[in-house]
Amino acid sequence: MSHYSVAINVQQQPEVLERVLRVVRHRGFKVTSLQMQLNENNTTSIDMSVQSDRAIALLTNQIIKLIDVLDCQVLASQTNKTTESAKG
Amino acid sequence: MEQGQMIRGADAVIKTIAAHGVKTVFGYPGGAIMPIYDALYGSSVEHLLSRHEQGAAFAAVGYARSSGKTGVCFATSGPGATNLITSLADALLDSVPVVAITGQVSTAVIGTDAFQEIDVLGMSLSCTKHSFMVTNVEELVPTLYKAFEIAASGRPGPVLVDIPKDIQIALVDYKTPLQAVMPEPEHTQTQIDAANTLLAHSSRPMLYVGGGVGMASAVEPLRQFIAATGIPSVATLKGLGAVSYDTPSYLGMLGMHGSKAANLAVQQCDLLIVVGARFDDRVTGRLASFAENAKVLHLDIDAAELGKLRMPEVAIAGDLRQILPALSQSMQIEAWQDAVQSLKEQHPWRYDRPGELIYAPAMLHRLAQKLPEDSVVSCDVGQHQMWVAQHMYFRRPEDHLSSAGLGTMGFGLPAAIGAKVARPSAMVVAVSGDGSFMMNVQELTTIKRRRLPVKILLVDNQKLGMVKQWQQLFFEERYSETDLSDNPDFVKMASAFDIPGRNITLASEVEAGLDEMLNSEGPFLLHVSIDDAHNVWPLVPPGASNQDMMDEMEKQT
Repeated sequence: MSHYSVAINVQQQPEVLERVLRVVRHRGFKVTSLQMQLNENNTTSIDMSVQSDRAIALLTNQIIKLIDVLDCQVLASQTNKTTESAKG
Repeated sequence: MEQGQMIRGADAVIKTIAAHGVKTVFGYPGGAIMPIYDALYGSSVEHLLSRHEQGAAFAAVGYARSSGKTGVCFATSGPGATNLITSLADALLDSVPVVAITGQVSTAVIGTDAFQEIDVLGMSLSCTKHSFMVTNVEELVPTLYKAFEIAASGRPGPVLVDIPKDIQIALVDYKTPLQAVMPEPEHTQTQIDAANTLLAHSSRPMLYVGGGVGMASAVEPLRQFIAATGIPSVATLKGLGAVSYDTPSYLGMLGMHGSKAANLAVQQCDLLIVVGARFDDRVTGRLASFAENAKVLHLDIDAAELGKLRMPEVAIAGDLRQILPALSQSMQIEAWQDAVQSLKEQHPWRYDRPGELIYAPAMLHRLAQKLPEDSVVSCDVGQHQMWVAQHMYFRRPEDHLSSAGLGTMGFGLPAAIGAKVARPSAMVVAVSGDGSFMMNVQELTTIKRRRLPVKILLVDNQKLGMVKQWQQLFFEERYSETDLSDNPDFVKMASAFDIPGRNITLASEVEAGLDEMLNSEGPFLLHVSIDDAHNVWPLVPPGASNQDMMDEMEKQT
């Protein structure tokens, strides 16, 4: 199981948080912490920690495709070696 | 830039659609979209009334897939919009450019559980490429322009625009917005060099061609690349038609019901060149052993597909029309071409089946031989769909419409209607099964309404054949709910819609039956009662590797 810290910058839209969270869930990641903040320039910053057996690129590649997402960065990643399992 | 004029939001919708070159939309009216239907009345945009919103959206899909243009459909709020969902999901999985416009209850009552209110924006999140709800009439036209741009750009997909009724009747100063162009990924010379190095070091390269080729208008560049390199090729269900079927070393479809030669050759290659395809599980079989000894060069417009299921040695996100010519080179791969040819000769399709009853693969192969050059075949889902993919051949990808990703029964008939609207001079044949046909059978009325000369080839084994096949092979012949022997009299039913038809049951009737269908003036239903003993062969069993295909009559015990 790996833990990742992800920073996402999005256009302000009423449903944008739902869009991002739906992708996180559907692509096999679990949100372990979440903070969002509206910015003055019509953007919103979403900082979240997620965990999954899957590589983080499988998530970030999908998030960045969302039309309202401006940027998506992985700030930190940590892999728990004892529970890491081969992809089956 | 056009000078502004005050018009209703509803009129602005029609005007924007017309400005995008859309001549025909598909839909079904209702309360919350009445202003748009009022604006449509007497406008230059033609409307084809479906008899279910799913049929309307599938017609838009068929229109888009057969023409490469964006399809448009309308539905009202609530049940109208929910009925669109399956078709939008289908368009998402198969990357089809569709703009769906739904009416919504007025903004003042959104969130009050008003009559025919449902959160369509919320429902759309998982089944569209993007979606909008317009809450300010000033945003209406720019939003619609964005919707058309998003639907058709990059990897295409469905876009939904939900428009509350008060926005439809509000007045707006119509101005053509400045078009925002979506950024497209661009390849680098470093990537091209890396790809060329892979090609130069390969002695057994194989092209795995997907639906992305057709959608990128890259059929000609691909064919030129194949002509220059001589690289053998296989195609996915959506990729059929991209490589001309008579191309040397082309082995047809790969995967679960692909040709044995295609699957064996892919397993033997040392370089898999993936072009506009995505390692779908129906293609790869057991992923870990798919083309196990091959390096992978993956080319796609969607960067998220690169490394999603198989890590490529070199991946290039970009426009196939530019990438393929940059990789073109002459290659010394005669021994491999001979090996591929030999596989092709070892595993041919056979149509010389004894018996009086109709062998569906032979009939479909005969249909392919009889079709004029400008033809579209629209399939439903199940055994007949796989037989079409195996035994028919297509001039171009847009001549073969098949619900590939979502596998939606009920796709074939409405998609054929959309194709006939988009390509009126083409021969359009809907090949359906007795299960699938009933899923959108109400669209026979749409055919009747316009006397659309759509030909329907109904392949009937009185079963949900594909499910029955799996029950036979993998569920100990326990045929749970797959018997359809209580089907209606299909020819009689067609006649109720003024569609002539006839039934054939014997192999000796196939020739005359197909001729009668193809030569008839208007729509026609050829109901074919086939030998129900036949299954789709060969088959990669679930969980197996592609080299371990089951051959005919080999039953798991």
